[in-house]
Amino acid sequence: MNKSVNHPYDELLTAYSAGSLPLSQALCISAHLEHCQSCGQKLQRLNRVGSQMMQQLKPAPASADLKNQLLDRLDSLTEEQAPVESKASEPDSSIPRCLRQFIESRYEDLPWKRVSTDIHSVELCRDSNGARVELLKIRPGGSATTHTHLGDEYTVILEGSFSDESGLYGQGDFMVKGTRDKHTPVATRDRECICLAVTEGPIQFTGFISRLLNPFIRRSYA
Amino acid sequence: MPGMTKRKDSGEKLAQMSLCITDVAENRDKAAFARLFDHYAPLIRAYSLAREPAADLVADELVQEVMTRVWLKAASYNPRLANLNTWIFTLARNCRIDYLRRNSRYATEIDPTDIFNDMEDEGPGPFQLAQQSRVEENIRAGLKQLPREQSEILTKVYLEGKSHQQASDELKLPLGTVKSRVRLALKKLEVLVTR
Ligand SMILES: [Zn+2]
Repeated sequence: MNKSVNHPYDELLTAYSAGSLPLSQALCISAHLEHCQSCGQKLQRLNRVGSQMMQQLKPAPASADLKNQLLDRLDSLTEEQAPVESKASEPDSSIPRCLRQFIESRYEDLPWKRVSTDIHSVELCRDSNGARVELLKIRPGGSATTHTHLGDEYTVILEGSFSDESGLYGQGDFMVKGTRDKHTPVATRDRECICLAVTEGPIQFTGFISRLLNPFIRRSYA
Repeated sequence: MPGMTKRKDSGEKLAQMSLCITDVAENRDKAAFARLFDHYAPLIRAYSLAREPAADLVADELVQEVMTRVWLKAASYNPRLANLNTWIFTLARNCRIDYLRRNSRYATEIDPTDIFNDMEDEGPGPFQLAQQSRVEENIRAGLKQLPREQSEILTKVYLEGKSHQQASDELKLPLGTVKSRVRLALKKLEVLVTR
């Protein structure tokens, strides 16, 4: 279960537990948690902190009206529930649960767009802070263009593995690259690598193709 | 010792409430649900008011959302994974995230429901189970002994739902100070140790 060696730092897990993390970053944490028992246990302890703090609050009494309204509605609630439950148990094991809201069936059926010879990408959504949530697919042995970006970039490996200047990363591994980090991930030769990537600001590719792409990318953020 | 009585009280309350949730799950017992409401609704309101003081309607709406989920999801609550207080906290937190998302100036399509599925994680082994009550007690007692400057920031983070940056702005403290106080507090509560 504990395959990953690269974990979100404590500050991110704490914000996730407290509910103050932007949802795009929470997606990355959630995808990592599916592969990491030790972060899962840490999260349970962090949740207990919130729980105990809530227990120690001075209670703010609820009105009898509020209680009675809710009690009156209970029977009608039961009927609405059934279809929701059946949808939640969709059997698709390889895709992290938090991403199934964007991916109906398989990774390969997504509308991938070619970014370079080695990379395809597909945008899943935007966060309310403007962050872009996308999947990147690097072909076996392929290299992702060295790029700099204006905000932090959060990455979780979903399939395959890659290496960059700082080491080898496998399924479930989580990493954050700051604005000044340049890195060149290279997928291992045995299979393609699929990553979840959340980028806070517009990406500036520094390669040749990327210069061609840049005006387009900038416009898509306008 | 007054501390001991308090611990016994909170333990007994939790045990009573756990019986109620079982009754709701197995028998759809409305009287048991009403007892859960009596205990948790005022805490959920207090949690909401911590973030938005005087916003009573928002607090009532959060109570409705959370208690509705308690009724609907009682059967999926698994006491082996989280004690009832922690489950209620995560429900309240999730409902608040969803409320903020729906009322945000900038929309996002990201649905938080599938992100925070705390209950569906793989359960802890027997060893962890034995540790859980000790962890719980460390946190409960530890929170009361934190220096004011640390508990103040934990309140911002956990109850008011502020980011470290927002806490730093509001308290007029450097971001680094906020981060280190959160870390120190969580270390004292023995939350960050890797077992
Ligand atoms: Zn981890």
